[in-house]
Amino acid sequence: MTDRRLLQVEELHVWFELGHGRELHAVQGISFDLAEGERLGLVGESGCGKTTTILALMGLLPGSASVSGRVLLNGEDILAEGEATVAPHRWHDVAMVFQGAMNAFNPVKTVGAQIAEPMELHGISSGRSAMARVRELLEMVGISGSRAGRYPHEFSGGMRQRAAIAMALACDPKVLLADEPTTALDVMVQAQILELLVALTNDLGLAMILVTHDLPVVAQVCGRAAVMYAGEIAETGPTQTLYHDPRHPYTRMLFAATPDLYGDDAVLSIPGVPPRLDREFEGCPFAPRCDSAFSRCAGEHPRLREIDPGHVAACHLNDVAVGAPAR
Amino acid sequence: MSASIQAPPVPDPLGAPAAVAPTRRGFMRELLFGSRQTVVGLAVIAFFVVIAVLAPDIVPHSVTQQTGPVYGAPNGHHLLGTDDGGIDMLSEVIYGARVSMLVGFAASVVCMVLGGLVGVLSGYFGGKTDIVLMRITDYFLVIPDVPLMIIAAAIFGRSLLNIIIIIGVIYWTSTARLLRAQVKSLRERVYVQRARSLGAGHSRLIGSHIMPQIAPLIVANTVLTIATAIFAETYISFLGLGDPSAISWGKLIQNSLTGGAVFHSAWWAIIPPGACVTVVILACTMVGQALEDSLNPRLRVGHLSVRRFRMRPFSARIESR
Amino acid sequence: MDYIVKRTGFALMTLFVAISLNFVLFRAIPGGAVSGLRCQHCSVKFREAIIKQYGLDKSKWEQYVVYLDRLGHGDLGTSIADNRPVWDDIRQPLVNTLPMIVAGTVISVLLGVLAGVVAAWRRGTLMDTANTWTALAFYAAPTQWIGILVVFYIALPLGLPAAGIESNTLSIFGPPSTWAFVTDRANHLLLPALTLGIGLYGEYALIVRSSMLETLGEDYVLTARAKGLKNWAIVWKHGLRNAMLPLVTLIALSFGYIVAGAIVVEDVFSYPGIGLATINAIGRQDYPVLQGIFLLLTVAVIVANFAADLLYFKLDPRVTT
Repeated sequence: MTDRRLLQVEELHVWFELGHGRELHAVQGISFDLAEGERLGLVGESGCGKTTTILALMGLLPGSASVSGRVLLNGEDILAEGEATVAPHRWHDVAMVFQGAMNAFNPVKTVGAQIAEPMELHGISSGRSAMARVRELLEMVGISGSRAGRYPHEFSGGMRQRAAIAMALACDPKVLLADEPTTALDVMVQAQILELLVALTNDLGLAMILVTHDLPVVAQVCGRAAVMYAGEIAETGPTQTLYHDPRHPYTRMLFAATPDLYGDDAVLSIPGVPPRLDREFEGCPFAPRCDSAFSRCAGEHPRLREIDPGHVAACHLNDVAVGAPAR
Repeated sequence: MSASIQAPPVPDPLGAPAAVAPTRRGFMRELLFGSRQTVVGLAVIAFFVVIAVLAPDIVPHSVTQQTGPVYGAPNGHHLLGTDDGGIDMLSEVIYGARVSMLVGFAASVVCMVLGGLVGVLSGYFGGKTDIVLMRITDYFLVIPDVPLMIIAAAIFGRSLLNIIIIIGVIYWTSTARLLRAQVKSLRERVYVQRARSLGAGHSRLIGSHIMPQIAPLIVANTVLTIATAIFAETYISFLGLGDPSAISWGKLIQNSLTGGAVFHSAWWAIIPPGACVTVVILACTMVGQALEDSLNPRLRVGHLSVRRFRMRPFSARIESR
Repeated sequence: MDYIVKRTGFALMTLFVAISLNFVLFRAIPGGAVSGLRCQHCSVKFREAIIKQYGLDKSKWEQYVVYLDRLGHGDLGTSIADNRPVWDDIRQPLVNTLPMIVAGTVISVLLGVLAGVVAAWRRGTLMDTANTWTALAFYAAPTQWIGILVVFYIALPLGLPAAGIESNTLSIFGPPSTWAFVTDRANHLLLPALTLGIGLYGEYALIVRSSMLETLGEDYVLTARAKGLKNWAIVWKHGLRNAMLPLVTLIALSFGYIVAGAIVVEDVFSYPGIGLATINAIGRQDYPVLQGIFLLLTVAVIVANFAADLLYFKLDPRVTT
């Protein structure tokens, strides 16, 4: 049995220059993998580095960024030489639906032309066959093909999001990166978009990484999820396990903080703020806000430990052997 | 020929200070000296102001009497040579600073007063006042500046005062527009509403609540208007409508044209006055735009640049920290 | 549709105001338009005859009506200096100026776009700073000064014509061939147009840079990059089209400035166009001619503004109302 996953991210680091020699260590050694056809959620608060992570996967970081780590697509490290090795894979193998897809479209060009653009660029099809494919893609996401000649401002927010998804699928990618695809949409439309994403990934055998801060979304769509905090992975595992048996206090508090519509529980928010990423810090980044922190947490940085196959967490509480207080 | 000899928007390659709230202490100091660009600009302007003020005391020679040969080349005696009348160029340029700076500052004061009045009233009262005042502004933009200059000179005679007034009357519209927009948005702010509900009268509202907030913007705009005014003065001198007895940089440029400096290869009569105008206008633009930028900051993230992200060597996780 | 109707209405209104203003301005000159007449030893009767000829004896209102009526028939009045219809006097200069202005505008747009795109592309680097400040410096420099420098440093050393519109030797052997004629005209047009272009491009460069930076920060640029487009392709296909939008209207709106610059340039280069005609008319105090020219130019500015409104409407698919 090949153990090779579709996408393997190993020790990904991203730094941003802040001027005056200072740096922001936005992503601090992230590792995860993605199987074919799998939907993985990447969860965390704003600013935890999830968007930066997936931008790094496509090499879409600005010039002020530096990256280290490996991104193995079918075994090949696409980040080996930076821009040079990652560029050929853009859209072809890995495509992205951006946050706020409303603005992903150039207002002065038709939607159809913009969906056809990557196809023509990568030599997949052009001219009339491209336009035919465009209509096909639009139908796939639930938009009438005749709207291909319209301008972006003639679409509603939800429709633009669908069109952005259609555009992402234009070159038949293996991996779809979706960055907060439902934020800024109303609830009904959100549900539709999520259904669409699930259906598409199933039908097309597409793997997807869904970035969001919205836990119910992850619960609905993703089989597995990785929880990020302060640029690092706190815990990764099957979504159900994260909900029922979280092994990192942050995961537990995140799930607990989700308002329960039918319950009377008070909404628990996590007090405090995430640490600044422009400085090195000692110990566990979550310790200041953690309700279960103990003596080891302030001085020693927790490593990702396997709890069960497919379930890892970075928390000293899991080190039963090393004198952690009984849970 | 509408009032369009305006100072253009200037980007800030040397870096403007971060956005500052107008009510913080030390705000003015930070605004003025926060960035290299404003400091350099202010230094240049200050330099020329000092020269203008001290002019009579620092000129090496007379500006009315011939003290050298016609178009004499620069030498130890006449550092910038002499013009077509044998008068020392350096002295003329120094005196020219006087007139040009005076016209620049005074005309921009007129612009500020006129534009400020129209803009503030228009923005504050809104409704009919706004419509009427804005219509007037629009029509003012339609009037071509050149004929207005000519006619005003013909009617009122050519004097420095008239030039100042003419420039002020032609170029107040941009100030009016800018202030109107600001005042309009300020009027809706909570504290203004609150004060109004407490029964504060219009003048109090404008005087103590709105003016302090827009004062920095007025300053920034005034600096830019100074640039426009100095440029306009050169244009008026070019048309031959300037004060005949006043020496300004514009006049000196015009003299070099009519006096045939080109054919005498007298670069010293051509370059200095124009260079001074250019430098002062540049300095004003630097300061004015940097001020405006820091008061109305617009952050722009570029997704595209020549620089690529860099790769660093792979590092396995460090065991402990 | 509604938008077009509103803009047309506004254009017509301003046109009417401009025409009337033109009338008022020139009638406001003390001593009436007759003051321009070289009429020191005229007998009273002769004076009266002239006044009658120009209809200056009637009341202001009657004159106004006559003025409008004449305009309706395309009659711009009669020149005081040479007694010919004003239109005849300015027709040829107009024809001369047009190609020069067009060439100058083209040069300024090309320079502006080039400088602006490069500066935005290499934002924050030396290229950006150098380009931007150079553009600003040229924009700040008085146009006549640039002209003089062009004559001094380019025309004379390179032997390019620096005056007039036609070489003395052009028709020396009989009527020139079309080719010779065109190249000769082009030769004489070159430096004035170049001066105009250099003096004006600064504003465009800054607008293009600023617009380009904003465009490059848009999400669709990141999307384009994600789709695999190369940087230059993104600039070309997505960036320019969007960034140029403001430029197009700016060109139309800065028509007034172009005209003001043309006046200067024609004077420096003795180019017999409408600008030089204006200068001469000022000198001769030939007010009917001045009035005619200014009317023409004001109308052109209004038309240009109107064209800008329509153009933006057409270019931006988002403007649907």
